[in-house]
Amino acid sequence: MSRGQSPGPHSSKYHHPYFTPAEVEYLSVKQRGKLSAAQEERARQSACAFLEGMGARIGFPRRTIATAQNLYHRFHLFFPRKDFHYVDVSLASLYVSTKMHDTLKKPRELLAVSYAIRFPDLVAKSKHPGGEIDLDAMDPQVVERDRQRLLSVERLLLETICFNFTSRMPFPYVIKLGKAFKAGKKLTKLAWRLTIDCHRTLIPIQYPPHIVALAGLYVAALLSSFELPQPPEEPGLRSPQELAEILGQNGDWESKYQVQVDDLEGIAHTLIDLLVQGSQSQTQNTSPRTPSSPSPNPSPRTPHPSTESQSPSDPFDADKLIRLKIVMRQTEHPPRVRQPLGTADPSALYSGDDVGLLGRNEGTVRFLFGPPGVMGHEIQ
Amino acid sequence: MDPFEVRIQFLALLKRLNASQQSIQKVVGFAIKYFPPCGEDLWDCIVEECQKGSINSRINILYFLDSLCETCLLVKSHSNSIGSDSGTKQYVDFVNRDIGKIVECVVPAGREGLPNLTSAKQILESWRSKRVVDPQTVDDVLTALGKRTPPAQSQPSSTAPVEHRKSSHSSLPRTEVFKRIEEDRERHKRLRERRWVQPVMHHAPGQMNLLSFLPLTFEKDDDTVATVDVEFDNDWETTSDWNEDDDEAAADESELCFPAEGEGPMDLD
Repeated sequence: MSRGQSPGPHSSKYHHPYFTPAEVEYLSVKQRGKLSAAQEERARQSACAFLEGMGARIGFPRRTIATAQNLYHRFHLFFPRKDFHYVDVSLASLYVSTKMHDTLKKPRELLAVSYAIRFPDLVAKSKHPGGEIDLDAMDPQVVERDRQRLLSVERLLLETICFNFTSRMPFPYVIKLGKAFKAGKKLTKLAWRLTIDCHRTLIPIQYPPHIVALAGLYVAALLSSFELPQPPEEPGLRSPQELAEILGQNGDWESKYQVQVDDLEGIAHTLIDLLVQGSQSQTQNTSPRTPSSPSPNPSPRTPHPSTESQSPSDPFDADKLIRLKIVMRQTEHPPRVRQPLGTADPSALYSGDDVGLLGRNEGTVRFLFGPPGVMGHEIQ
Repeated sequence: MDPFEVRIQFLALLKRLNASQQSIQKVVGFAIKYFPPCGEDLWDCIVEECQKGSINSRINILYFLDSLCETCLLVKSHSNSIGSDSGTKQYVDFVNRDIGKIVECVVPAGREGLPNLTSAKQILESWRSKRVVDPQTVDDVLTALGKRTPPAQSQPSSTAPVEHRKSSHSSLPRTEVFKRIEEDRERHKRLRERRWVQPVMHHAPGQMNLLSFLPLTFEKDDDTVATVDVEFDNDWETTSDWNEDDDEAAADESELCFPAEGEGPMDLD
């Protein structure tokens, strides 16, 4: 398919906006290599938590943090974890995200905050009362080396998205759909938070944002009604029970909002698995954060008090969540048919001969914003 | 330094305060450093300077207060996270308490306050959206500002009291005017660039802190929950209802994600 205009090899890489679950499975196994699934998950959660921490300290809006997490997940469908440190990939993802969402921060600024998170003892020594680190006080060679790594991972990352800088986020849809379904502000708030947490999974790169958003509302409704008494009726609003029932069955809402009920169920299971994981890890982590700074008053960031003694009304009790999953399975609908795993392995573009091409300026690489069929024109 | 010396030094710094970030950060640093024990005293100095200074210096003070509040909240978030929380937001609490008084000084009624009106409104709106000041309080102040008689209408010069001779009713030299215009442009640009910044929070590292696990109802004094909700609350107020644009966007994304029947899997040829 090369056009023999300029010297050097030619190839086309096109932006693969979403992956099917089968593709995610195939690529994950391939990139995992010798790592176990548990190790992979731990690395993934470390990266996502790191990005949350960076975002919280800098004050990034949700879209910036979420896209960074998406880019991180996407990167490791193309590149194995063994070749990269999660901090480098996370920082590069965050940097690209800041550009995409017009919330720009320079690499040096990102690095300074990352050092403050990773090296609390450096922070303790810093003059700044706000817990900031002065880059000039650090070894310039270290900073420069980290900056170069960030930029080189950025280059690879940009190529995996084919320089396509668009990114639609689920968050506005959570609110629009919350209002459309009369869920009320409190339930929508829970859905918003669930949607944020959802970006610790690969859901957002497998489903469109409006579907992710509605799934957030569905899970919020389930968590607020399963094995719980009906709350008092609020005029003009649906109860969580009602909402869960509506979204758990076929209805007009499917065509109106271009969703299928099985989409919501599939996403819900993954999201609830994440909550189970989080709930179990929280009950394990009951020790103080740093021995050197014991606090007589628990800060807001220590484990939520109710996880210490899991009461039956706590929606995040792991056993209860598992019971919820079992009940859901009893009434679930067959999943929609997605594209079968094709002969084309998108990550094959980034291995073997092509690795040499990446990041260098030899030959012409055409980056297309979408797969040929969808873009509606023939690519020769 | 004894409190008396602190006050003297601070007053000197305030008098030299200009529109530059460098100048602002210097004064901010000093104010934060000496908050315990001189916070109240230093605050009085700020309010006094706001009442007595020129129109230009008053807007400089408002921008200084913006940076001061930003830093106070950063410091508080950091001390929360290392478990040494003093419980106060330092000068932010004073700003909340005296905001009416300050805005009256920065945007005095009549033509005199006009040069500062736009900037003041922008800062107030930024404070509202970032919850530096309680939204209702900001709304009240903005309403009061809006209620004033527009200065373009008749202000008979015979009623102008003697004090106004000292104020900026007297026209500034051209260079000063241009300098002020340039400063405003830079500061508006900086405000715009920072518009996306959400309230800051320092996380304890190493835990899988899912946001879903945080309590839903706002408990008094629980800064974490309040901070996390600010963006949601703002978006709840400003996001439009589902409309045709959303139908189109959903169709676009669905097509990318679930290509229509008949289109095979990606073909590299």
